[in-house]
Amino acid sequence: MKLPRLISMLVLGTAAAMVAGCGKKDSATGAAGATASHPTEGPMAAELAATLESESDFYIFKTAADLPEGLKWEDGSDLPEFANPDAKKGGTLNYFIQDFPRTLRTVGPDATGGIRQYFWDFVAMYPAHEHPNFPGRVFPGYAREWAADPASRTIYYRIDEEARWSDGAPITTADVVFSLYYYRSTHIVGPWYNDFHKKTWERLTIYDEHVFALTMNELRPDFLVRCSEGFYLFPKHAMADFGPDYVQRYQWRILPTTAAYTLTDSDVRKGESVTFHRVQDWWARDKRFWRGRYNPDRLRFNVIRDIDKAYESFVRGDLDFFLPMTAVPKYWYESLPDNHPDVAAGYIHKTRFFNRIPQPDWGLWMNRSKPLLDNREVRLGIQHAGNFKLVAEQYYRGDAVQMQTRSDGYSWRMHPTITSRPFNPVKAREHFAAAGFTQQGPDGILRNAAGRKLSFTLSTYRPDIRDIMSILKSEAAKAGLELNLEVLDQSTGWKNVQEKNHEIALIALGRTPELFPRYWDFYHGANAYQDAYLAPDGSFVEKSAHGTPNPNPTRVRVQTNNMTQTFIPELDRIIEAYDQTQTLEELKPLAEQIEQMIHDDATWVPGWSLPFYRLAYWRWVGWPDDFNVMLSMYSHQYFLFWIDTEAKEETQAARRRGEKFTPTIQTFDQFKEP
Amino acid sequence: MKFALNPLTAKKLRRFRAIRRGYASFLVLAVLIALSLIAELLVNSRALVVRHDGRWHFPTYGGILPGNDFGLDYSYETNYRELRDRIAAEPERSGRGDFVLLPPVPYNPLENCYPGEFYRPRPPTSTERHYLGTDQLNRDVVARLVYGFRNALIFSGSFIALTYLIGVSLGCAMGYFGGWIDLLGQRLIEIWSLVPFLFVVIIVASIVSAHGGMSLGWLLGIVVLFSWTGITYYMRSNTYREKTRDYVAAAQVLGASTPRIIFRHVLPNVLSTLVTFAPFTVASAISALTALDFLGYGLPPPTPSWGELLRQGTSNLKAPWIVSSAFSALVVVLLLVTFIGEAVREAFDPKKFTTYQ
Repeated sequence: MKLPRLISMLVLGTAAAMVAGCGKKDSATGAAGATASHPTEGPMAAELAATLESESDFYIFKTAADLPEGLKWEDGSDLPEFANPDAKKGGTLNYFIQDFPRTLRTVGPDATGGIRQYFWDFVAMYPAHEHPNFPGRVFPGYAREWAADPASRTIYYRIDEEARWSDGAPITTADVVFSLYYYRSTHIVGPWYNDFHKKTWERLTIYDEHVFALTMNELRPDFLVRCSEGFYLFPKHAMADFGPDYVQRYQWRILPTTAAYTLTDSDVRKGESVTFHRVQDWWARDKRFWRGRYNPDRLRFNVIRDIDKAYESFVRGDLDFFLPMTAVPKYWYESLPDNHPDVAAGYIHKTRFFNRIPQPDWGLWMNRSKPLLDNREVRLGIQHAGNFKLVAEQYYRGDAVQMQTRSDGYSWRMHPTITSRPFNPVKAREHFAAAGFTQQGPDGILRNAAGRKLSFTLSTYRPDIRDIMSILKSEAAKAGLELNLEVLDQSTGWKNVQEKNHEIALIALGRTPELFPRYWDFYHGANAYQDAYLAPDGSFVEKSAHGTPNPNPTRVRVQTNNMTQTFIPELDRIIEAYDQTQTLEELKPLAEQIEQMIHDDATWVPGWSLPFYRLAYWRWVGWPDDFNVMLSMYSHQYFLFWIDTEAKEETQAARRRGEKFTPTIQTFDQFKEP
Repeated sequence: MKFALNPLTAKKLRRFRAIRRGYASFLVLAVLIALSLIAELLVNSRALVVRHDGRWHFPTYGGILPGNDFGLDYSYETNYRELRDRIAAEPERSGRGDFVLLPPVPYNPLENCYPGEFYRPRPPTSTERHYLGTDQLNRDVVARLVYGFRNALIFSGSFIALTYLIGVSLGCAMGYFGGWIDLLGQRLIEIWSLVPFLFVVIIVASIVSAHGGMSLGWLLGIVVLFSWTGITYYMRSNTYREKTRDYVAAAQVLGASTPRIIFRHVLPNVLSTLVTFAPFTVASAISALTALDFLGYGLPPPTPSWGELLRQGTSNLKAPWIVSSAFSALVVVLLLVTFIGEAVREAFDPKKFTTYQ
């Protein structure tokens, strides 16, 4: 599921986003729970009927006889499974969340929180899911089979007759209709969803209770995945009272789910913990691609606000695994070194797994609309003054790799040869000198003839990287460049860069696994200025030669991701062509050109990326032989692990007696980029 | 000077000196402050004296000397420890009398002391002169402490001057003029002082940071803005009391102007309140700065500060030298200030033979 943009951008490498806690007062409203007593009265039925009538060119109802001839139905049976079918069911997973969720809704205000992934993002079902080891291919979800027809930009899905909601009700096309109505409704107070589901789909066609077809507005190379993973279902039969008061009414309502885990009211202890339990006789438990997953009977999440405390909880054995070890080297090397008694005795295992997904694009984003940064020589100097090699080698102890292009980490390289410019104070000074900065002041900072200091503000909205900023500052001084650090909190800092008030920002946007990168958001002139095209004589032009509405470069466009304020009409033309491509073969040469132009323009200094995750877990947590899958962002995302209760007793007894096991410290690099 | 000559004041000072714990604390703190003012000579990566190719250099104060000046192949600031090792490695240079004299702790608070090695806290060693170890960015803890102390002193000194300037002026005005000014001022102060200090400071700090960056001056301004109210109460009541005394009436009869009465007659008589409060104000200023830095709303990195050291320490409990250094330093300084404060209070207490139970 694609999260609302802003939120997905903020929720970067960290395992959990932070939402504030809440009081106890609302618990009564969730009384319906996952039991069968769903509301039967409400405004939904009438509103839905009216919508279907007024949008009859979007919601189209046909009969099974209208299904086109010659559809080629597929069910992904040629793809291999990725879970271990022998995984042990049972036990309880104990883990932590940093903050109690403000709501149990999955959509709407405050819904994007740390815990939603356990009842939605990681567990809910699409009609078909992208295979995590074969990007671009899909395996069945609640649809038994599908037939893609790229010519009409349509995919036909046949819902599995066995597919059930967690309360036993069958999943039907009525739920699909309701879900799209839901996402397009203003009641959900989710403008991102409204916009996305209005822009993405041309129409929804219903053939019978089980067959439906989604037609997209555009055909892209990842059409099959894009269409299949468009939205999660909502249960029509349990939401008769869906209406204008949705946000309040559904704040703590527990809805039937397509997922393997659900909640009852007694599982939610406000402010303290949430415990999910496995759906009894979940319909998909023995289906291919789903067996061997979702193994623990219960998932218990206690609120622990401080990560250092969570770590202490883990080494006491209260948590089964500890995940936030990737971005902070301290836990891996200092707190839990390989010679830690519990690691050396084999009670705690340490594993590093290389995934292959686009990582957050850490780097220096220079705002071209600020004085001096509009000068390419200054930007080139800054490229050579950013010592990310030091960050990768000494802060991350050689675990991080330096990024080379904007688009590292996709399963293919956008540009075969571009590399980032190395840190080199001499070269940096040469470029600064070419921009007129030739005098070195008594503080070691360069100045130009007019006495202007070569000094910029370096901001971030990620307080956790303040140490890296300090490192960059002292290294940049060697090139005669002064960076004044500005560490803002998340919301203020995000506003700062979205309103293009920054000079240089050290930030990253999180990226979901996609087949190819997005350039329009970040580099198209329309996202930099309200009006960007002028004729050679300076007169105003309505549209660019390629149909882009014309902005005027004096008016900065805010709330877009073009945070380098790049506006190069030639680049815009290529990006527009790139966004029209339908196959990877068409797309690749354009991506290469775009990468070259971005590199030449030098507004973004490639930073570092951590193309892996690492974690520690107690011996009783089992994993598949190859540990995890290529497109996993987190180790627990696909729920491939299991809790071995016998091993837990054995380990605890052995630990009391001082018996040792073979230490397990392993690295899985089968998906490591060469 | 005038106050010092006043026999009453002289007596108070004699009593202060007689209170040994307070007086000793005062001496220790004075020495610490004096040392922090010349910290560049004691804790610094710049050499005190360099003799190179027969020429003398004194790099401590003034602009940077680029590496090129000493025949090194870079134009940023010279690394004097490297220069020292280089000279020591070349016998003909040391034979010519070239040398580098470094301060006792040859590190500045911002530099990575272990270039080429991983960033991680390292325990204290005296061989490398990291007497309190290094922090998670390989920076010397002594250097961070010393320069952090100086920042805290500058902060608390300016803080006390500003809060007293505002607080005393307004307090005296309210007490002296009374009536509507008093009534209105009191209500405004009551409202203002109910604003939750830390939250507002955090909010204002985040706004200020987003518009041009936080600095010591800004931080000071914000904290002062919400801290001047406390002293007004005491000044107001004292002035109120003094106003009715005969000497004020006498001054009025003699035709003294209002400012003259307030500043020349009333103020010296209520000054003892100020003096007794001053050390405690210093303590609260240091605590406020430390708290804000600890929470990440204080001075921008990489400015050395105690709050930042404490935060590093609490998240690196495996490196106890960080948290224990910062914590001990904080406790010692606050204790010294409090001892001084108690002694001053006692010295200025007109009831000499009262004992506090």
